[in-house]
Amino acid sequence: MTWLTVPRDWIASFGEIAKFCGRVIALVWSGRVFVFFGEALRQAGILILGSTLVIWGLAFILGLQCGIEGAYFSRSVGAPANAGVFSAWCDLREIIPYAFGYMMAAKVGTGLVAEIGAMRISDEIDALEVMGISSMTFLCATRLLAAWMVLPFVYIAAIGAGFLASYIAVVQQIGEVSSGGFFLIFWMFQNPPDLLYSLIKGMAMATLIVLVGAYYGYTASGGPVGVGTATAKSMVLNVVGVHVVGMLGTQVFWGANPRAPIGG
Amino acid sequence: MVRALADRAFLPTKSVLEQVGDMMILTGKTIWSALRPPYPYGGEFVNQFLFALRLCWLPLLISTVAISYGAPGLQAGNFLVLFGALDRLGGFFVLTSIREFGPSVTAIILAGVAGTAITADLGARKIREELDALQVLGVDPVKNLVVPRFLALMIVTALFDIYAIIFGIVGGMLATVSFGAPLGPFFSTLLTNASVTDLWGSVAKTTIYGAIIAIVACYKGMTASGGAEGVGRSVNQGVVITFLGIFAFNYVFTQTLLATHPEISIIK
Repeated sequence: MTWLTVPRDWIASFGEIAKFCGRVIALVWSGRVFVFFGEALRQAGILILGSTLVIWGLAFILGLQCGIEGAYFSRSVGAPANAGVFSAWCDLREIIPYAFGYMMAAKVGTGLVAEIGAMRISDEIDALEVMGISSMTFLCATRLLAAWMVLPFVYIAAIGAGFLASYIAVVQQIGEVSSGGFFLIFWMFQNPPDLLYSLIKGMAMATLIVLVGAYYGYTASGGPVGVGTATAKSMVLNVVGVHVVGMLGTQVFWGANPRAPIGG
Repeated sequence: MVRALADRAFLPTKSVLEQVGDMMILTGKTIWSALRPPYPYGGEFVNQFLFALRLCWLPLLISTVAISYGAPGLQAGNFLVLFGALDRLGGFFVLTSIREFGPSVTAIILAGVAGTAITADLGARKIREELDALQVLGVDPVKNLVVPRFLALMIVTALFDIYAIIFGIVGGMLATVSFGAPLGPFFSTLLTNASVTDLWGSVAKTTIYGAIIAIVACYKGMTASGGAEGVGRSVNQGVVITFLGIFAFNYVFTQTLLATHPEISIIK
């Protein structure tokens, strides 16, 4: 373990990961995954039952955080009635995508590595291949399709959880602005395209996380210990990926145009 | 039927409460055996410290620059440009980089990189029954494995917080430069608004984050079971619990700090 282990690992496996992601996306895109549509639906069910609550929970906690920081900040500039601006931008544009990405990486990404990795270790993947079932389609592509089917709705509900939390923090907890005053400013500073951009950002993170998780699980080796190590490694790449995707999204969607109802 | 429904609601709650209780007990045991002589954990402490340092420096660097260039840099910068007050971005970075994003991103990276590695390592030892072997040899796993990780992560997380703040400010500089503005006003408002309270608040917060990460990671690693999938599962559960715990604690801490130190939110 030297100082450059992490970057060397990334560079060494970058091509492999890109190739793997390309193949899985092609399987979904070409429609071959629909052979196993039932499995995709089952995975979607697992995603809904297993992961939505914690994702909303984290979005809620971070929404509270945005709310109090916004309330104290707008008080300090002498405009406590404008806490809604801070909440609207902080929640919708930045924090909810990050909260979603973090929890996806933690819950879904590592879960995929643990699950698929265990199948690899116990030779179940080879067994699938022997039976003539394309393991990559059955295990990886179905999960990506399930994520694409379910996560947009989970994400929009997470935004709702964040908004609710900010409302509670600003209006009920700090209480320096009335409910109507908060919502007037809050809705003035966002519009449907903002929601769409935020959704694109969240889905880009989710796609990356599912693919990275599937890659590390699919290529796990070295017994039970190997599964644990692969899980930890996937988390390293995922948390960095979430931040980079978040930054690129902000730069592309809001970098040159603040999209604020102020001035010309 | 009623019994099955009640079990379905009751058993998960019970297991969550049991786990929280177990982690509290582990925390107490860890602190107790850290303070009580003998102190055999020096070498392991240095190893774990360097391990976390080597693993986290690059992910943390990339993440802090990216998040502070995007979230506070571009978004707040865009807002301030509308009022012709981009120089105020420096003051805003006290709020974002020092108070919020620095500690939070440090915690996310440490939990995601070092915490998962610790869980995987201890989980592997548990599965291979090395922990039982240690106990048979009369070596206390808490004292020799958990204590050094606990102390190393507390210190390394607090130190990494400073590192994250520095690179967060680099992200802010990049944003300022991308708006074509000079850096002088950025630093002038940054340094007039920064206060010692903010800095110690940030470092105190991350020290406790480090403790949370270490305890959850060690607990989940030492209780791993169930073969190949077991270790992966405990890494998964460990990182989820850590994230929720860290942000719940962050909310309480930030709220208390802001409410009890009103002078830090005055803009100078």
